[in-house]
Amino acid sequence: MFHLKRNPAYMSLYKLICIGFLYEVPDMDSLPVGLAGKGELYFNGGMSVLKVVDLKKSYRTGFFLTSTEVLKGVSFELEPGTITGFLGGNGAGKTTTMKCLLGLCFPDSGQIEYFGKPGMSSEVKSKIGFLPERPYFYDYLTGEEFLLFYGQLSTNLSRSALKSRISDLLKRVDLSHAKSRLLRGYSKGMLQKVGLAQALIHDPEFVILDEPMSGLDPDGRHSMAQLIEETARQGRSVFFSSHLLHDAQQLCKNLVILAGGQVVYEGATESFLLDMDSGIEVTCFSNGKLERHNFQNNEGVQNFLRTALNEGKVVQAVQPVRRSLEQAFVDKALRAGDRS
Amino acid sequence: MKSTLVISLNTFREIIRDRILYGLVVFAILLISVSMLLGQLSFAEQIRISMNLGLTAIHLGTVVLSVFVGSTLVTKEIDKKTIMTILARPISRTQFILGKALGLSLVNLVVMSGLSVVLAGVLYFLGADLKPIFLLALVGILLEGMLLLGITLLFSTFSTSIMVVTFTMGVFLIGHWLESMQFFAEKSETVSFIFFQQLISRVFPDLEVFNWRAHAVYSDRVSAEEITYAGLYAFGWFILTIVLTSLIMRKKDFA
Repeated sequence: MFHLKRNPAYMSLYKLICIGFLYEVPDMDSLPVGLAGKGELYFNGGMSVLKVVDLKKSYRTGFFLTSTEVLKGVSFELEPGTITGFLGGNGAGKTTTMKCLLGLCFPDSGQIEYFGKPGMSSEVKSKIGFLPERPYFYDYLTGEEFLLFYGQLSTNLSRSALKSRISDLLKRVDLSHAKSRLLRGYSKGMLQKVGLAQALIHDPEFVILDEPMSGLDPDGRHSMAQLIEETARQGRSVFFSSHLLHDAQQLCKNLVILAGGQVVYEGATESFLLDMDSGIEVTCFSNGKLERHNFQNNEGVQNFLRTALNEGKVVQAVQPVRRSLEQAFVDKALRAGDRS
Repeated sequence: MKSTLVISLNTFREIIRDRILYGLVVFAILLISVSMLLGQLSFAEQIRISMNLGLTAIHLGTVVLSVFVGSTLVTKEIDKKTIMTILARPISRTQFILGKALGLSLVNLVVMSGLSVVLAGVLYFLGADLKPIFLLALVGILLEGMLLLGITLLFSTFSTSIMVVTFTMGVFLIGHWLESMQFFAEKSETVSFIFFQQLISRVFPDLEVFNWRAHAVYSDRVSAEEITYAGLYAFGWFILTIVLTSLIMRKKDFA
């Protein structure tokens, strides 16, 4: 004769299933990101694309689960319709910040707001495109299948409308010829391009790119830079992390620089470089020799010019000494990182 | 629901395009063929031996698929970081897990159906009179595969692929030994052994609940109550493991 209690595990199993269904677990994906950790709900009526306030995150690592604070109160804000570079040395916390922004990591505290509203809902996710660092995609899919998969996950477009969009995107990233090839046959540059296409498949308002030019040859970097510029020209906001400062200098209107888990600069790229000006250089010709003199202020330059002209020197150029972003970055970010 | 379906179809495509699956299918077909040869060793029991070995081959194939392929379903996504681009989309972690589970369950169903057709063809060739109990034995295998898949997914949220396979195979072996352990515990006077038997019988699933292979071989009857219980038992465990997997996934940092 059969009995429901034939196996003693049955009743405990039944109870556990009931607990599983009845216990209303808060959906972490629908919670405001700030609430996912210890943070508080934070409302803001601002129109920035992204606002990050006092984001903190630590990981427990090693055998004794020692806590390592990776983000020590990161705050910044992004203007709509601009390209913002996210710079920082290795281990500065760039990727952790991006993962917190995308709900892949839960911050210990702090607030993240998208489009003036707190939280990471499905609606917000559908407005964001993301390309991860060193993208490993499903290599058993062809380029077209890959984009169709992400398109079906992100939009409600019909299959035919989606296929037409995929065709346009593949044309834009110059991969139409490889649409039927498996991704395992793609080169690094092609993977980055198809990765960018998947980030744009659902026509997002805001695109987050983690090291999009890492590992690309000069031609690939140029091509990716053009695609990023084109993306921004279409009215999208782009936030990309990079350690290739030359590319960031060319592309980004604004910069957020991270060092030791803290923001050490937030503002316009031009202002950052101006702040980092290291004086004025005067070039003159005297006794058949070319001389270069550096001055820290205008007064020094004027005094020198008066004397030089009186002495019959030929002044060839007076110009500000502007360092490259690379030099400025090393000065500001890495030194700040050392102090923290 | 749409996102879950999209994930499950992609998972199905991923496994179908994997060479491991074809190796497994070839192995199972070889085993079914061997069952036909071994059956010829016995004149009277030829069909029974062939059916028994054939069903065992399908059972092993389903278990290997659920445990070995299942162990890489989530861990591979985390290791290769493909999960990041997925979870950055408007899809919840629960939908992702459900999609993965449904995708592999669909592969289980397709592979098992294919192997069953091969076995049924072999048995028909040998002149067997296939009864509904044969189909029921296959349903039992499928239910066991589903339960093991749920356990595999649960382990894969906090362990590496190798450890997941080790843990789940442990559950598989214990699950089939529970009845034998109960038998020995009833004869035993050792208090600690009886306590241990009672403890593990409450923690581990009893996988013999789904074993109707002997019933199929000897054309024994299985009561409707037993079938209902087995169905509820398998779905109960599957739902429980998926709920627990989702709870763990919801709190997981993808660092």
